[in-house]
Parts: sequence; structure tokens; C-alpha cells
Amino acid sequence: MTLTVDTESDANQEAVAERVRKIREAQDTGVSRAEGWRRRGPLLPALIFMIAVTQVPFLFTLYYSTLSWNLVRPGSRQFVGLNNYVAVVKDSQFWSVAGNTVILIVGVVLISALLGLLIALLLDRAFLGRGIVRTLLITPFLITPVAGALIWKTTILDPTNGILNWVLSLVGLGPVDWIGDFPLAMVMVELIWQWTPFMMLLILAGLTSMPRDQLEAGRVDGAGALQLFRELTLPHLRRFIELGVVLGAVYLVNTFDAIFMMTQGGPGVASANLPFYIYQRAFLGFDMGQAAAMGVVVVIFTMIIASFALRLIFKSFSGKEEAA
Amino acid sequence: MSTPKVVDKTARTTATSDAAPVRKKKSKKFSPWSVVAWIVGLGFFFPVLWMVLTAFKQESDAATSPPTLFFTPTLNQFKAVFDQGIGPAMLNSVFATGMSTILVLLLGVPAAFALSLRPVRKTSDALFFFMSTKMLPVVAAILPLYVIVSNIGLLDNIWALVVLYTSMNLPIAIWMMRSFFLEVPGELLEAASLDGASLWRSVREVILPLVSPGIAATALICVIFAWNEFFLAVNLTAVNAQTMPVYLVGFIAGEGQYWAVLSAAATMAALPVILCGWFAQNKLVRGLSFGAIK
Amino acid sequence: MAAITYKNASCIYEGSDKLAVDSLNLDIEDGEFVVLVGPSGSGKSTALRMLAGLEDIDEGAIEIGGKDMTGVPSKDRDIAMVFQNYALYPNKTVAENMGFALKLRGVSAAERRKKVEEAATVLDLTEHLDRKPAKLSGGQRQRVAMGRAIVREPQVFCMDEPLSNLDAKLRVQTRTQIAALQRRLGTTTVYVTHDQVEAMTMGDRVAVLRFGKLQQFASPNELYDRPANAFVAGFIGSPAMNLVTLPVTADGVKIGDSTLELERDNLTKISDAGLSEVTFGVRPEQLELTESGGVEVVVDLVEDLGSEAYVYTHAGSGVDLVARCNPRRAPKLAETVRLHRHAEGAVHLFHPKTGERLN
Repeated sequence: MTLTVDTESDANQEAVAERVRKIREAQDTGVSRAEGWRRRGPLLPALIFMIAVTQVPFLFTLYYSTLSWNLVRPGSRQFVGLNNYVAVVKDSQFWSVAGNTVILIVGVVLISALLGLLIALLLDRAFLGRGIVRTLLITPFLITPVAGALIWKTTILDPTNGILNWVLSLVGLGPVDWIGDFPLAMVMVELIWQWTPFMMLLILAGLTSMPRDQLEAGRVDGAGALQLFRELTLPHLRRFIELGVVLGAVYLVNTFDAIFMMTQGGPGVASANLPFYIYQRAFLGFDMGQAAAMGVVVVIFTMIIASFALRLIFKSFSGKEEAA
Repeated sequence: MSTPKVVDKTARTTATSDAAPVRKKKSKKFSPWSVVAWIVGLGFFFPVLWMVLTAFKQESDAATSPPTLFFTPTLNQFKAVFDQGIGPAMLNSVFATGMSTILVLLLGVPAAFALSLRPVRKTSDALFFFMSTKMLPVVAAILPLYVIVSNIGLLDNIWALVVLYTSMNLPIAIWMMRSFFLEVPGELLEAASLDGASLWRSVREVILPLVSPGIAATALICVIFAWNEFFLAVNLTAVNAQTMPVYLVGFIAGEGQYWAVLSAAATMAALPVILCGWFAQNKLVRGLSFGAIK
Repeated sequence: MAAITYKNASCIYEGSDKLAVDSLNLDIEDGEFVVLVGPSGSGKSTALRMLAGLEDIDEGAIEIGGKDMTGVPSKDRDIAMVFQNYALYPNKTVAENMGFALKLRGVSAAERRKKVEEAATVLDLTEHLDRKPAKLSGGQRQRVAMGRAIVREPQVFCMDEPLSNLDAKLRVQTRTQIAALQRRLGTTTVYVTHDQVEAMTMGDRVAVLRFGKLQQFASPNELYDRPANAFVAGFIGSPAMNLVTLPVTADGVKIGDSTLELERDNLTKISDAGLSEVTFGVRPEQLELTESGGVEVVVDLVEDLGSEAYVYTHAGSGVDLVARCNPRRAPKLAETVRLHRHAEGAVHLFHPKTGERLN
């Protein structure tokens, strides 16, 4: 049996769209809603858990920030509105600590990303013992941060018996009180040591996933090694570098262990970052209200960065995924 | 009636449909760059190596200048650490890490599944929420957490850490596992469904075997972060529930100047995770790069 | 084994206002081998997936064996599908892949083994039964995918371009084997391809689809001899039918300076439709080189295939014509030759705007 049907014409498109809309209306919305809940079901336990454990405490923090409350003086709780925030803004130490935090995050992230890139490039070629070298390289990332900070503080940076000063003495340079004179810098060095492997692994993943035939096409087109890197490899790596920077920054906002172990924030607050400063206020000074207010400020500050970060992650990674 | 046999006549010809192109393996060359790589690798590893070496030294050899390279090793430091009671702390760490990782998997695998294989209309929103909880500085919540935990009576109780570590690792775990789930080709599920498998059956027989390396990688990352966590542990535990990092810090308070025994304690605190990470290296790399490396 | 009916079935593209399949009506008989063919985006794969339950039926219905399949999930439709990329379970051996559906149905291990081995013998897979798909070649994987479908003894086979990942030689070979297998098993089969050669050689009947709409559903011969519209005419046959829109004269159609004469009936039909132009179709094998008469053309290209040759030409006014000729007597490039129609050669006339067949 032969059937003849009209061939496609542009004027039909509007009519088709109209039909589609009617069909969609007619579909049983009750069924699709039930299906929707069935699909969302497995998500709920995790969602509820996270909301309970993370959002609730934060709401409390907001509440505390409006109180003047010192843990050591019972019965001193009273509502003071935004006084704590005013005090925080006026606190010059807070701003200097905030500055430290920014320097720390930016410095560590950028330098470890750069180092990570260089080392990843080194590891991208096969050579004898590459696997072993990679194993060695990821160790700083695995070591307990307090243990790592301890080792740096004692065996490496100690003014008298530390290895660094010993090496310097071999070339005639005097002993340096590293932690005493450069507290923030030393903390940053330790953090860079810990985080470079992470960056390196991410970037190495990017390098390995680089399509080889693109590079071959470039070479045939006459590009030299540096040009290939700049025009082809680097754009491809951008996604991975961005991810590393974002994740690193997020973790580093909270960094605490190294400062606690190496300098206790000192001298004064020269090497304190916001988490450490807040910790001091709350658990050593017992001033809950002020600490809470500072916590809220940190959250706002982080949210601004985080919104950029999240948008970045979603843009670059969800693009390839939204198919299943 | 003879059945017409379907014979692959091309078995004898050279061209097959999808013979993978065979590339010559690059010979492992000994080039100057590989020397640099080795130097960098050893350089990064050196502090850890030194820590382990120092742990085997006598105190007199530990804090010297110039540093002692040759010495008679001794296990005394480790014995001292054990004598001071590292056992309970070790157990606490194992429990907190293990329990929280199990919880993360129990909560996270279904969540990752829901967010990947059957995209829900609010997938992006849910993911956004999970990731945003990670961005929330812990320090902002520590105060009420302290107050709440102490009011519930869970201060210095390992379960407080279990719950908190779960919430700490859950977002990353969901993100990672979702990317592994997404790698399962949709056609496999369709084939299983046509073969007559219910959703649960398809998950069990087809999907889980495929994503199990990814789940293992995620679990490893969770173990690393949970074991090494210090801030929550130091603030919410005292003596009973202290984990290895907290114990280490307490150790320093007593033995601050004795580098050898300190190194021994540090080694014991750090070693389990280092070994885990070494042996499961490929899985670790996979997890960290969100499945970009196979 | 069952008859299949598509009743005004439509399916909407996810997240858009377009119809992937538009009011498809097909009556497929029990045991028939039907091919759905068309270019990319024609909706053929979607139509197949609607049958298998992998796409929703947004409008209309599909019946299998007289039963309406709306709301019936894939696993209950008793359909076996061979996917384009085979979709073999990577963690199972060949034997386990083939036996999976039976296992789900609770068939005993001994029975499963027997059926799997039978299918393996037919498909020459016996020595691979304990291997995993990763260790097989493309052709072998394709046969495992077929085996998985056969073992189930379903009422319908669905095949979604199963040959497109094979190299040319293997494709031709496997084509005949699939057709022979289907004839032996007698299972109703719906087969999707974009390759019209596969469609013509394998199908009992072929449905040509375009932009989601059915163009024609008929036997290969009928599609070839009497295409229902210009699209089908140009799609079926290789090289494609010559289709040119030409002005009409009293005696026929004007090509360049010459007139190609048409029969009385055809001329009547054209004037009845009130057309001054008509889309004229003639297959290359209906045109031949001639010494005198016919149309004057200039040779652009000669394709020599060994058994025959095709001459690509153009007439003065930009009209391109392809003709078949004997390779030993092929003309040279840029030569001017004359073409005329075989006496019995069929002519196809289509409406220049709608493409509908006129004669």
C-alpha cells in the first residue's frame, strides 16, 4: 500500500508547535509528578542530612552574632543587635587578619598551580621510574596536615638544627629564624608544599586527556613546541586549572592546621588567618558574640567568591555532561 | 533443515571493523628532563622521608646540626609512643574515618544516582546546594556546633565527629560519584531494560560493577580527608574521643623538644593514609581528577 | 511473533516544540521484515525506539499483536533490540550477555546454556563464549548483540543501524546473513538504516521517512519504479535519479534548446494540473548516449566502475544529467554528446512545489 504525504514546508512549523503544545497539555500531569518524586527519592536522605547538619548551625551563628555573650561569664547573654558587627569593622586586627587570609589564599593557590603545571609537564613524558616519581610527589597531599606542619617547623625550619639553615651554612649564609621572621611566608611555603601535588594531578589529568591528533595537526601545520603549548594545550588545560584553583581556594579559606602548629598565628596576629583568629576569639577568649559576627562576615566574603567559583565549575564541567 | 551458519569470513582478512590502531610504544628515554623530574620528586618527598628517618633515631641524633645521616636505628621511639597510649587515638581515628565513609557512601550513592542517570528537573539546583555547603567556612559554624554538641551531650564523643565528617565529605563524594555514573552509556541501561530488568536489577547487575572503581576512588578521598581532619576534632573532643591529629598535638605539648619521638608519633599519625594513597594511587588519581583520567 | 501497528503515532523532541515523529501510520504484518529508512533527523530511530518503549508515545498509539503498548514499560513488551553501538554488558562474558534476559526470567542455568550454545553455533561464536566484550573485534561484538536478541525468541526484533560501525566488506556480508536469519526465524523485524542500499536489499517493505513524516511505505520494487514523491525518487537508487524542474511545452519538456517528448497521458496530467513547469525525473540507466536526436550535453565527469560507467553532464541551461553507459565506450571530459531516453524508460513527473507524483 502506498501512502503519499505532503513534503515539509516552512509554513507548517507554527502549526506543529501549536500541536505540540496541545499534546503536552493533554499529557497526564499526575503521572509525571509521581514519577518525578520517584526519581528524586534517592536524593532526599542526603539532602535532608546536609540541610540539618550545615544550615541549622549557620542559622544559629547568625543568631549568636546579635548577642553579646561571653562563655566565661554566665548570664551575660543579651541582645545587642548589630553592635558586634560594628565592633568587627572597627577592629583593625580583624582587617589585618583578613588581609593575611587573602594573601595566603591567593599566594598559595597561584604558586602551587604554577608549580603544579610545570611538574605536570615534566611528568607528561614517559621516563624510567615515572610511576615512582608520581608516588613520591603525591605524598605531601596525603600526609596529615598537622604532622606535615610539625616536620617543617622542627626538622626543616628550626633556626639551630633545621636542615634549611644547615644547607645555607654550606654556602656561607647565616642562620635565619624562618618562622620567627617570616611567619606568614613560612606557613604559605608549607601549604604550597602540600597543595602542589593536588594541582599537579589535576593538570596531569588534563594533559593526558589532550587529544593527540590535535597536536599532530598543529605540528603538521608548522607550529613549534611553544606555540603548540600556548595555542592548543593551555586552552584545553584551562578547565582543569580553573577547577584546581577553585577547589584549592575553597579548602584554603578554612586552613587552620598549619597556622596552629607552626606559628599559633603569631607574632601577634602577623600570621593568623580568619579561621584561626575566630578560633582564638571563641575558644581562647570565649567571646561568642564577636566570634559569631566575624564568622558571618567570613561567610559573606566566601559566598561572593563561591558564586564565581560555582558558576565556573558548572559552566566548564556540566557542559559535557547533561545528556543522560 | 540445515541452519545457515553465520560465519565471519573476515577472520582471514586483515581489515577488521575496529582493530585499534597500534602505535609504537615510545622507548623510555633517559633525558635531562627525567633527571629534573626525579630531583623534583625526591625534593617533595624529602620532608616525609626525613620524618620517617628521624623516627628511627636516638634523641641525640635527632636534633643536630649538621643533620645526622648515618646512625644506628632504634625502635625505642615507637615503643615510647605506644607506651604513652596512642592506641585509643588510633582506634578513634579508624572508627570516625570508617563510619563516616560508610555513611557518605550510603547517603551519597543514591543521591549521585538520582542526580545523574535520571536527570531530575532540579538537578542543577541540588548540585549547587551541595557544593555550596562545601564552600561554607567550617569556622562559621563551629560555635553553634560546639554549643549544640555539648547540649546533646556528645562533646568528646566520637559520634559527633562521625556525623560532621560525613557532612564534610558528602558534597565532594556526590560530585565525584555523579561524574562516574554519567560515564555509564545510556544504551546499557536501555538494553538491560529491554532484556527485562527492573531498575533495581539493572543498577545491581550493570551499573554498580561499572562504577565500583569510581566509588572506591571516592571512598579513598573521603578516608584521606576524614583521617587528616584536625579543626573539628580539636574543638569537639578532649581525651576520650581524640583522633590521631589531636593526639599528636597533645604529644607535642609534652615532648616538644624531643624530635625523634615526635617524628615517631607523626609517622604513626600520617602513615596509614600515606600507605592507602600509595597503594590505591590510580584510584586516587581518578577520583581527584573526577574521572578525567581512566 | 506479532503484527505491529503504528496509529498516528507522534513523539516530541525533548525540550523543544518540534515533532521527531509526526503522525506515523504503519501496518506491519506478522513475520515481515520492514526497514525504516531516511536521512539524519528523519525520525526513524525515534520511531523504532517508540516501538521498543525507549521513547514516549506522545500522541496516537502503537499496537503489538493487537495490544496497545501505551504505558507498557520496555521490559514487558517482549522486544529484543540490537543497538548501533551494541550496548554489550562489559563486565559479563559473551555467554552471560546472551543469557541475561533468560536469567531475568528465571530460566534454569542448564536451559540457558543450551539456548546460548545453539545461538552461538548459528552465529559462529562458540569459541568466544567465555570472553568479555572488550576482547572481541567489532564484527564479533555485533554478532554477540545479535545473539543476545535471538536467544530471547521475542515477538519482535528491533535493529537500530546495527551495521553502521562495520567496515564496508563486513557490512555487505553481514547484511545477507541477517536477512537469511530473519527468514529462517520468521520473527517480525523492524530495521532502521540511513543506507538505502541496505533498505532495498533487506526489506520486504520499506518505509521512507523525512522530518518525522512518512513519505512512502511499499516494497522495494514499488519504491524504485513508482516513487510517490520527489524526495523518495531522489533518495532511492544510486546514483540518484535525475530530478530537474523544466518548463513545459506542447510536446514535452524543454531541456536547453531541445525538447524531450512525453507521452500523451503525461501531457494531459500536466495540463490538468495547470502547470507551466514540472519536476522531471529519469534514472541514469534510462538515459543512453546517442548519435542523433535527444539532448545535447557537455561531459563534466566520467566515473568508471568497471562493470558500468556513469557520465555526469550538464545541458546548456544549467541542467545536470547523469547517464549510464558502457565503460568501454565512455566519452571524454568536456566532450559534447547527445543523450536520449530509452524507449521503455519510465518517466517520473512531480509537482514542482509539493513534490507529489503526477503520473
